[in-house]
Amino acid sequence: MKWITARRRHPLAGYVVVILALALFGVGYAALAPTSDQAQAQTLAAEAPSADEVDIAEGKAIFDQTCASCHNYDGSGTYDEDGNVTNGPDLREVGPAAIDFQVSTGRMPSMDPDTQMPRKPMAMSEEELDDLIAYYNDQIRTDGAGADIPYEVPGSAPERANFEDEESYEEALAEYEAEYDAYIEGADNTDMGMKLYLTNCAHCHSWSGGGGALTDGRWAPEIHDASPRQIYEAMVSGPGAMPMFSDGVIAPEEKQELISYVKTLQAEPNAGGIFDLERVGQVAEGFIGWTVGLSLIIACAIWITAKQRAHD
Amino acid sequence: MSKTTQAPKALRGVGNFIDDRFHLAKTGEKNLRKVFPNHWSFMLGEIALYSFIILLVTGVFLTLWFKPSMVEIVYDGSYERLQGVPMSEAFASTLHIDFDVRGGFLMRQIHHWAALIFVASLVVHMLRVFFTGAFRKPREINWLIGVAIFSLAMIEGLFGYSLPDDLPSGMGVRILQGVMLAIPLVGSYISMFLFGGEFPGEDIITRLYMLHVLLIPALLLGLIVAHFMILWHQKHTQYPGQGRTDKTVVGTPMFPAFAVKAGGFFFFTFAVIAGLSAFVQINPIHLFGPFTPTSITSGLQPDWYMGFMEGALRIFPNTLDFSIGPYPILVAVLVPGLGSMGLLFVALGAWPFIEQWITGDKRAHNVADRPRNAPVRTGLGVAGIICYGVLWLAGSNDILSETFSIDLYLTTYIFRVLVIAGPIAGFIVTKRICLGLQRRDRETLEHGYESGIIQQLPSGEFIEVHKESSDETTHVLENKPAITSTALEEDETDDRGVENPEARKPKGKLRRALAHWYTKDNVSFEGVAAHSGHHLHHSADGDEGAH
Repeated sequence: MKWITARRRHPLAGYVVVILALALFGVGYAALAPTSDQAQAQTLAAEAPSADEVDIAEGKAIFDQTCASCHNYDGSGTYDEDGNVTNGPDLREVGPAAIDFQVSTGRMPSMDPDTQMPRKPMAMSEEELDDLIAYYNDQIRTDGAGADIPYEVPGSAPERANFEDEESYEEALAEYEAEYDAYIEGADNTDMGMKLYLTNCAHCHSWSGGGGALTDGRWAPEIHDASPRQIYEAMVSGPGAMPMFSDGVIAPEEKQELISYVKTLQAEPNAGGIFDLERVGQVAEGFIGWTVGLSLIIACAIWITAKQRAHD
Repeated sequence: MSKTTQAPKALRGVGNFIDDRFHLAKTGEKNLRKVFPNHWSFMLGEIALYSFIILLVTGVFLTLWFKPSMVEIVYDGSYERLQGVPMSEAFASTLHIDFDVRGGFLMRQIHHWAALIFVASLVVHMLRVFFTGAFRKPREINWLIGVAIFSLAMIEGLFGYSLPDDLPSGMGVRILQGVMLAIPLVGSYISMFLFGGEFPGEDIITRLYMLHVLLIPALLLGLIVAHFMILWHQKHTQYPGQGRTDKTVVGTPMFPAFAVKAGGFFFFTFAVIAGLSAFVQINPIHLFGPFTPTSITSGLQPDWYMGFMEGALRIFPNTLDFSIGPYPILVAVLVPGLGSMGLLFVALGAWPFIEQWITGDKRAHNVADRPRNAPVRTGLGVAGIICYGVLWLAGSNDILSETFSIDLYLTTYIFRVLVIAGPIAGFIVTKRICLGLQRRDRETLEHGYESGIIQQLPSGEFIEVHKESSDETTHVLENKPAITSTALEEDETDDRGVENPEARKPKGKLRRALAHWYTKDNVSFEGVAAHSGHHLHHSADGDEGAH
């Protein structure tokens, strides 16, 4: 400290402080500045599993154990005499896309059939899900009803735990990312994606995909964690209060534009500052304006008027 | 001063030259030595002034590049994500400001944050004036000017919010148009006139731009100048204290002390706004994308100062709508959309005159009231704050519902109850608190303050020693203004037993009733001499008025 004390009144000290501060801000900004790197998406490259990769018997065991108590052993659901769903609806005509969506987003198996399920980690492994879907397609599904799983759309990213060594994991991840990027970049009509999203989706899921409140205590979930395949499946199966957007209403290429729009927007850096207020918008801005902005200024007013000399 | 310091010769020459022609020295001397009372709550209006200056400067910067045109072009600027997207020139030029103009993004954010702070500081300034009774004679005109500034600021903000033609802009304008259309008979004509045809048309941004950068700022500037000139002429109010009377102002001279403080305060205001703008993203138009008439999204609100109107629209029940023949009367849009705003400004504007009519107080007041000493006014103010606040919260009910996992419909019912019950409860509670504080004031005046020293008397009794308050405190407490009304002083009958004609009319009866309500609960300080209470004089019980 003595060294500083001796020199802090040096004529050049002010300049040194300014230069140091500028350097600190410059370097600090370079370190903190948002980069345009796309956020890593969390999803898995997979083709439709071939018949010898899946175990239908295993699928049946899973179904009987985790699904049948509500949806019945034949998938016909549980209903009271008036035809109202008691625990779980009929699954025979919903299609595998709905099963894949509900299970891969962790919403099924559900803890409480009466309330809307939030997104959770999946309750089973990818292989188990494949087995379950194979069993569903083989035994429960009626005449190929409902939407098929869009295997060409990238799903969830590979997880390290499913691989024996780092090398194979890295390889799978690179392959997945290439597939993901190809899908997202394969759509280049931002205008179409934006119009489709803002016309059909944003009034529930909000412009940012952050979700929103619905009527009767339900809510539209945020879709930031959803993989492109899950978004696609939600559109073709219409889970919960969501309407169904079949491939006839919004064509697969249009869905690709829409999904690409959402994912690109989500990965977009916040050019306006490091605090994006969760992209909540005006409510958060107003809150910060009052609690931080105006409060700080008023604190300063209190500070500069606090000291009062007797004669001024 | 015993020694006069001479200004440098060069300056003296210029100074004398000017003074010989304009005689500025005398006026300047007088004005520079004007004193300004020193209290933090007197600085709130200055925040508004400074943020207005920041708005003017950044606004001028933005106009250099902004193109108020709704001509559709295909974007090919440097923001890659939206390249190839058709949009209006207004939106494209805003993107240009954000991404191609050096410092443009920061300037736009400073402009927006300064707007939020500007209106917020107007509100807190107005509340200070209201609660201290600083709107009373002779300052009613300045209060009205302030209300006009507040209303214009809200409209100015709404129009500015609409200019970039991004998603929230368009939705805001759409709500504006909806409220317009609900006006009976002329609604559709007004809308067609303003938009130059059907919504959205091709004129609205050009027209709002003119209003936003020319007409309303000019009006605001004129009103702000008038506000200041009247303040300058009438001098600032001050809180009660020794030597502070309706005729004498105690404070800091304008120059140099107050000017230095005010100048520093400007820079602090600017620093906070610039700091927010540098680090906190506001209204990211590049993420929202351009508005198209088919676009609609949840989770978007107007800027905070329009929130109470949005909330009123959201919670007002639509069961009161009716039709006259084929013409629907949309009560659920008219009452909250126009009524909430009208009620706010009419109530604010009329209050000084209503209060004067109730109390019949025509004296000039330069010493501010302590809020507790006007319990009814303070209670009404708090009721107003609660009503406004509930409506404001209701404007964000979808965000609250999602953030705190409350049923959306339930929030509507809660707000409907609160908007009526809240102000009533707030009034009662506030008034009781004010009266309680008055009683404590009387206690302090009579007994001094509790010193925290416990003493044991020879009899074994423990007492807490009270000490005499400072002269300043005693002065303030002794001079509590009594709340009276001339309406109650007039006798109901004259000395011949004839009824007072004024008191017989309905207006006179109403005035008497209001006067009674306004003055009935009041803690009287009559007969209370300072420091005469027994706590100070245990040795001489009953020896009142030793001081």
